[in-house]
Amino acid sequence: MPDNFRLEEMGEMAGADIPAGPLYTLNCTVNGRALSLEVPPGRRLLSILREDLELTGTKRSCEIGRCGACMVLVDGRPVNACLTMAYQCGGAEITTIEGLGEAGLHPVQRAFLEEGGFQCGYCTPGMVISVVGLLRENPSPAQEDIEEALSGNICRCTGYGGIMRAVNKAIESGVSP
Amino acid sequence: MGALQDEPLFSPALRQPRSLREAWELKSACAEQAVYVSGGTLLRTQWEAGTAAVPQVLIDLRNIAGMEDVTRDDDYLTIGSLVTLTACRRSGALASAGPAAAEAARQIAAPAVRNLATLGGNIASGYGDILPALLVHDAELAVYDGNLLRVQPVEAWLERRWSGAIPPAELVAGVRLPLDQGSGGSRLAVFRKVGRREAFTASLVTIAVTADWDAAARTLRRVRLAAGGGSGRPQRLAAAEALLEGAELSRSLLGAVYEAVEHGFASYDDPFAGEQYKKKTAGNLIVSELWQTLELKARS
Amino acid sequence: MLLNKESSGSRWRIRPDGQDKVSGKLQYLTDMAAEGMLTGRVLRAQQAHARILSICTEAALAVPGVHAVITHEDVPGLNGFGIALPHQPVFCYDRVRYTGDAIAAVAAENDAIAEYALSLIQVEYEPLPLLEDAEEAMKPEAILLHEEGNVLHHTEYRRGDPDEAFGACAHVVEETYFTPRQMHTYMETEGGLFIPESNGRLTVYSATQHGLMDRRQLSRILALPEEDIRVVSSPIGGSFGGKDELNVQPYGALLALRTRRPVRLHNSRYESVRAGLKRHPMKITMKTGCDSEGQIVAHRVRIISDTGAYATLGAEVLNFATEHVIGPYRIPHVEVEGFAVYTNNGVSGEFRGFGGNQAIFALEGQVDRLAQQLGLDPWELRRRNLRQYGDPGPLGQPIAQTHGAVQVWEALKASPLLRAAEDGGCEGEGSDSQPEGQLPPWIVTGTGAALAMHGAGLGYGIPDPAGGRLSLALDGKIEAVFGYEEFGQGLIATMEQMLVEQFGFAGDDLRIIIGDTDVVPDSGSSTASRSTSMMWMALQRLRPEFTAQLLETAAATTGEPAGELKLGCGGVWKGCSLLISYAQLARGLKEPLVCETKFQYPTTPLQRVGAHFLYTYSAIAVRVELNLLTGRVRITDQYHAVAAGPVANPQGYLGQIEGGSSMAVGFTLSEDAVMTGGAYVTKNMDTYLVPTLIDMNGRIQVEAIEDLPEHDTYGPRGIGEIGSVHLAPAVAAAIFQAVRKRVNKLPVEPELLQETFFTTQKAVGSYAG
Repeated sequence: MPDNFRLEEMGEMAGADIPAGPLYTLNCTVNGRALSLEVPPGRRLLSILREDLELTGTKRSCEIGRCGACMVLVDGRPVNACLTMAYQCGGAEITTIEGLGEAGLHPVQRAFLEEGGFQCGYCTPGMVISVVGLLRENPSPAQEDIEEALSGNICRCTGYGGIMRAVNKAIESGVSP
Repeated sequence: MGALQDEPLFSPALRQPRSLREAWELKSACAEQAVYVSGGTLLRTQWEAGTAAVPQVLIDLRNIAGMEDVTRDDDYLTIGSLVTLTACRRSGALASAGPAAAEAARQIAAPAVRNLATLGGNIASGYGDILPALLVHDAELAVYDGNLLRVQPVEAWLERRWSGAIPPAELVAGVRLPLDQGSGGSRLAVFRKVGRREAFTASLVTIAVTADWDAAARTLRRVRLAAGGGSGRPQRLAAAEALLEGAELSRSLLGAVYEAVEHGFASYDDPFAGEQYKKKTAGNLIVSELWQTLELKARS
Repeated sequence: MLLNKESSGSRWRIRPDGQDKVSGKLQYLTDMAAEGMLTGRVLRAQQAHARILSICTEAALAVPGVHAVITHEDVPGLNGFGIALPHQPVFCYDRVRYTGDAIAAVAAENDAIAEYALSLIQVEYEPLPLLEDAEEAMKPEAILLHEEGNVLHHTEYRRGDPDEAFGACAHVVEETYFTPRQMHTYMETEGGLFIPESNGRLTVYSATQHGLMDRRQLSRILALPEEDIRVVSSPIGGSFGGKDELNVQPYGALLALRTRRPVRLHNSRYESVRAGLKRHPMKITMKTGCDSEGQIVAHRVRIISDTGAYATLGAEVLNFATEHVIGPYRIPHVEVEGFAVYTNNGVSGEFRGFGGNQAIFALEGQVDRLAQQLGLDPWELRRRNLRQYGDPGPLGQPIAQTHGAVQVWEALKASPLLRAAEDGGCEGEGSDSQPEGQLPPWIVTGTGAALAMHGAGLGYGIPDPAGGRLSLALDGKIEAVFGYEEFGQGLIATMEQMLVEQFGFAGDDLRIIIGDTDVVPDSGSSTASRSTSMMWMALQRLRPEFTAQLLETAAATTGEPAGELKLGCGGVWKGCSLLISYAQLARGLKEPLVCETKFQYPTTPLQRVGAHFLYTYSAIAVRVELNLLTGRVRITDQYHAVAAGPVANPQGYLGQIEGGSSMAVGFTLSEDAVMTGGAYVTKNMDTYLVPTLIDMNGRIQVEAIEDLPEHDTYGPRGIGEIGSVHLAPAVAAAIFQAVRKRVNKLPVEPELLQETFFTTQKAVGSYAG
């Protein structure tokens, strides 16, 4: 509840006869495992991952798609899990940070580790996901491609220096998707 | 608002119409209790901020055939409303038929948001950053009114949108951009955006320019200038266009064009920038592009 | 030495917490869950200033799935919190003073039910006049926010006779500076898990920068003995000072004890913005005069600090600013007066830099303006006034003497950025920037510099305990136990590196335990750039005894003479071979080998509350590109020269300076938590804009100056704040060099710098050259 100034009005709405819509059967894969979940169709992917599946590597932060902490790959492309609703994930292949390096660290994760591309670490899963998404499409991106690809991921700790060094290291090491 | 939409108690119902007609009927029946949703990125922001209530019904438009298509015939490039901004940003066809629009798509939000957000959603807001670019490309919207798909110029649609004349159930189904007929000269097409940081920012000011540049005559023709920004109304800048159309580009003309833009661009004060700043910025950006044409293209 | 991975060699270590961070496995306290857990939510004030006429919670309590609705009536102990002055109501009962004030809290089966219940709590208000401006609030006719008056704290400092001295000055500059309400914007918002244990104790998993202080505060509120509360405070997804004060803890604790169920709270970003601390906006008026040779003679300062609705550390921040407006310059005649004033503008509190950022922006601005009047190079003017080894601190207090100020001045003087600026704006060696000739005429560039000395530790008169414990545990691990918190700064990594480098242990030999009040000694807070110094000093104290104990035990076990043994990777070594592993050593123990130390952070003997003893020095040069079409500024280059003693952890050091500078870029160019009518206009990260990677794509070089005087016993100084305190005045100076306009308000307003470029031909022509 972001704004209590509006609470009363919402309360009236909520107390009235809002139909609780039928649940949506979400069939998708998460980190390679097929799932079938009965969820409200508008439930956010962020809540599904963190609450229902207990995959807490996907972080909750701004909840309006303005920080990138909840970035996941949907069919290989980065999306903000806070903006994505359950019904929009039908049939999708979802990859979270937990699904990247199931057999040890993904090369991008290793680059972040070695270059110190993190501090508090809270933005790191989302940042790593965005880098993986970028390199999957473009294994040798130019500086401006990197800047564009990471423009939606806010890091408050590092000043991005370590992150850029990590990305460049990942590129040098020739990450294969 | 908050997590209201997260749990069954408050969760909206989902409807997934398979045709424009069906969508229109649903929306007409539910009126304000339903909203059309494509990517839903702007709606989510409004719901979380409490500036719009979570609706009782979401009308998902993604199952309507043709809404995600990009097609090209002899005269037009047509893009369905459900084409994502990422697809717009990467579309070779759009880069060719509407380079300013492709550039606008690159500058809206961030890549992950653009993977969800759609062209139609950006347009339907009435103030999306893509709109000034569509204006200078003489784009037209295909609008479904319950019976027919009508085509109308973006400018006319904006007039209706901003005067509150659009019925709630009306749907923007797609956009078409006329393919350039060629003019012998080189075509100038620019989109610029200024926000409060270097990227991933709401716009304060956007400008878009298209024109044919006749280097020999140092003249611009088919000049289209537009500006917008923030939640302000995107607009053509007719007086400045008139000054430029067919006239020989010169530094003194640029001064007059600047003043016409500054004077003609109607914007607004917001908590972060005054209207005067936005007017000056629009003038400066537009004229700097013309200046570059004059200085750089004239040399080459 | 330019600090980077290459120059650091093997000292560049992989952080021990890194594997879990990059893999997403690290469980933050807001990620935790427990069986039978309820969701807690807090009802915040609907008005920024109002009398509460009634609070009715019945309807909320009747909602199925709601387990508790609590208000001020349900606080068993003190209905107040605040590190320095516990007067912020846990729950308001008669009055609200900002829109983050709490009125009630709910525990429910899930978030939606809790939210619905909140919406059913009815609060009747009678609006009171809003105090939106600190100076208005100081007027006698202003309504009082607190009985004792609207001025939380008043500072004064005076030496010499400024009135007379100004009369004799050849040059005097007067200016008023304004700084923004910056938000910490830690990526993890406040939250945690609160578990009532079966034995009657309470476990609090929630971020703070001083677990024992949280325990003390919670004990007062809950009327529960401190020993019955366990606070686990790490890991933390960023804090920057913003989580040092209590936030959700009272509500989680009260709800958990009431329901006897685990309760989780996790603020939405909207609630975090609304309720959380911000940096104090300050209005600083300065009059500074010098003689014809550029010797600064007189300096008068008035600081008005908007401290918001409650005290928290508003007084301490003002003390800090009062000290730092004088800074590293020798000025004989000084008069400073400061006021921290209550308003209805949220709550201002602790934030990286702690009042230094505002003070240094103003002070360095004055020096630049004086240099302009003198027609002197601003860096040269600094040299003429710079403190020297042996000089007292800003308040005349004895301080730990170093050559830091001169060292950073000289290092910056020799930096490529300043040398290039001296050579008439040509690019320095190795620069990869675009040659100026290719920039369009509306892009202009400038270089500016600034210098800072920044105090560390809490200062004189404030309890500032330090200490820690080393032990050989029975499982053979070398255990280091300290009361600090890890919020990203790399404290665990620095601790590991010190143990490895000073004792010879391997990383694998170690178990580092922090942030758990049940087991840690009182090491003080993880604030004020103090933890690295305190860990280092603690290890200095522990090393002889702990080493001796280990070696003697090894000698006793193996029969080898202790004098021939040494500590090393994996165990005790004799010569080049491992004699006995720590695990083997531990097998012979009945109880752990323990060494503990307790001491105080070193303080100045001068009896002035808050005056500092240890300082870090830094000088910064920046190069900016300014777009005259838009008035927007881009920082293309930064050079930081930092004198903070030995580099304890190169990766952490570099990260702190780079990260601190990013925060300063936001402070300078884009960040301001705008308020109107006591409510935030910037409610989330769509309008509150912190720098993105593109805003930070310029080059940053960090030169670490490690030399300390031979007699120095304090070791590495803190570097957590120094990277963030002086970028703003350097950018302002660079802007001035570019366009001859003075910036006195942050964030820099593009309107100020924008030019109407094309109205006349002259403008284009003159820039196009």
